[in-house]
Amino acid sequence: MSSDFETYEQDFGTITAEVTNKIGRIPKLSGEEKTQLVLNVDKQLEEVRELLEQMDLEVREIPVQSRAMYNSRLKSYKQEMEKLEKDFKRSRIAYSDEVRNELLGDDAISSEGQRAHLLDNTEKLERSSRRLEAGYQIAVETEQVGQEILSNLHTDREKIQRARERLRETDANLGKSSRILTGMLRRIIQNRVLIFVLGAVILLTIILAIYLNLRGH
Amino acid sequence: MDNSGKEKEAIQLMADADKKVKSSGSFLGGMFGGGHHKVEEACEMYCRAANMFKMVKNWSASGNAFCKAARLHMQLQNKHDCATSFIDAGNAYKKADPNEAIKCLNAAIDIYTDMGRFTIAAKHHISIAEIYEAELVDIEKAVAHYEQAADYYKGEESNSSANKCLLKVGAYCAQLEQYQKAIEIYEQVGANTMDNPLLKYSAKEYFFKAALCHFIVDELNAKIAVEKYEEMFPAFSDSRECKLLKKLLEAHEEQNSDAFTEAVKEFDSISRLDQWHTTLLLRIKKTIQGEEGDLK
Repeated sequence: MSSDFETYEQDFGTITAEVTNKIGRIPKLSGEEKTQLVLNVDKQLEEVRELLEQMDLEVREIPVQSRAMYNSRLKSYKQEMEKLEKDFKRSRIAYSDEVRNELLGDDAISSEGQRAHLLDNTEKLERSSRRLEAGYQIAVETEQVGQEILSNLHTDREKIQRARERLRETDANLGKSSRILTGMLRRIIQNRVLIFVLGAVILLTIILAIYLNLRGH
Repeated sequence: MDNSGKEKEAIQLMADADKKVKSSGSFLGGMFGGGHHKVEEACEMYCRAANMFKMVKNWSASGNAFCKAARLHMQLQNKHDCATSFIDAGNAYKKADPNEAIKCLNAAIDIYTDMGRFTIAAKHHISIAEIYEAELVDIEKAVAHYEQAADYYKGEESNSSANKCLLKVGAYCAQLEQYQKAIEIYEQVGANTMDNPLLKYSAKEYFFKAALCHFIVDELNAKIAVEKYEEMFPAFSDSRECKLLKKLLEAHEEQNSDAFTEAVKEFDSISRLDQWHTTLLLRIKKTIQGEEGDLK
């Protein structure tokens, strides 16, 4: 009985080793070979399951005393098998580097390429920071120009204000002078009228004097 | 060809005018109204001759003619015209003989101040100062004239123009190592401008200059001053100038001229430092290095 169990154990060992090997190879292959290998592994896993069932039956026939040891061994084998199945499932969908290389062409990213890529990036960064600096400089210059313009504006503002004041003064002065001139004109007219009146009076007096003289004769 | 013809004409005119003046002086005709008329004519002829000399670029002859015209105006008591002629003479002499120009401009300024027109007088003080600056390189006299101009402008409430003159005075004072005066001027100007919404963006420049002058005199002063300015004018603390000052103060404390140079270079890379700033900073740097030498 136990020798059967041991034969089963040995078979289990060999088959699981093969399965592990094949599971390792599956991701690297593709297409026909892959499906074949997958079927192979499937069959072997079936064999392993049958082996386990038989081992189970064997263990039940063993008398109760020595069953514990075999039981534990059986449990560990079952766990191993479950792990194999999980690995198998994962391997079927696993990606491998081979596939990627095939897609992107051989040696697309080797270490040399990576180095060049990094240098490129650094250069781009440096260029952008230089441009930022230049932009900042221009902003500062603009600010200085703005300062100058503002102070010029202030000076001009004061000049204009002063000019306006002077203009108002001039206006007032002109008004005054025009009033004075009208006053002068009036006085001139007055003087003339006065002179005419006086002249008339003198003439009248002279005529009166002559008339009286003539009358006196 | 045309030029030499003009010149001859001008010389002829001058001679005629001279004769007129003489004739009007010696005759009794000078006493009558006719005398005045002659002098006026002579004046006008002088002016025309001077303009013709200007056309042929004979600046000294032109200035000469204008001067004669001005003196005649003075005789006629035409103050305005007299001053104008002196100014014209000054402008003509500027290109030929700076000293004569300054004499003429001074005479004109006297007349203007007499009449009470201080703004124009101030403007001409600035012209004289510029001549001293450029041609004769007599910085002290230039400073004196700028100061006078600033005083007149202040009297006429043109604070902007006054500030402009004061700034020049300050710059020259600092160059001549009269730091105390420069500090006062810059602080005053800074305090004036920081309230004005148009000018407040220039205020930080003035405080920076004042702080630099403080720095040369004494480092502790500079620290106190920077704090004071920050208090007075909060925007100052954000400016790059303030940051530069703080770095310089640190470097000075540690007597580290490398850090000093670093900070200055950094500032310079963004906005170039002009001649005045570089001179002052160099002096400050020398004090650092000088102290290092003393420690040895």
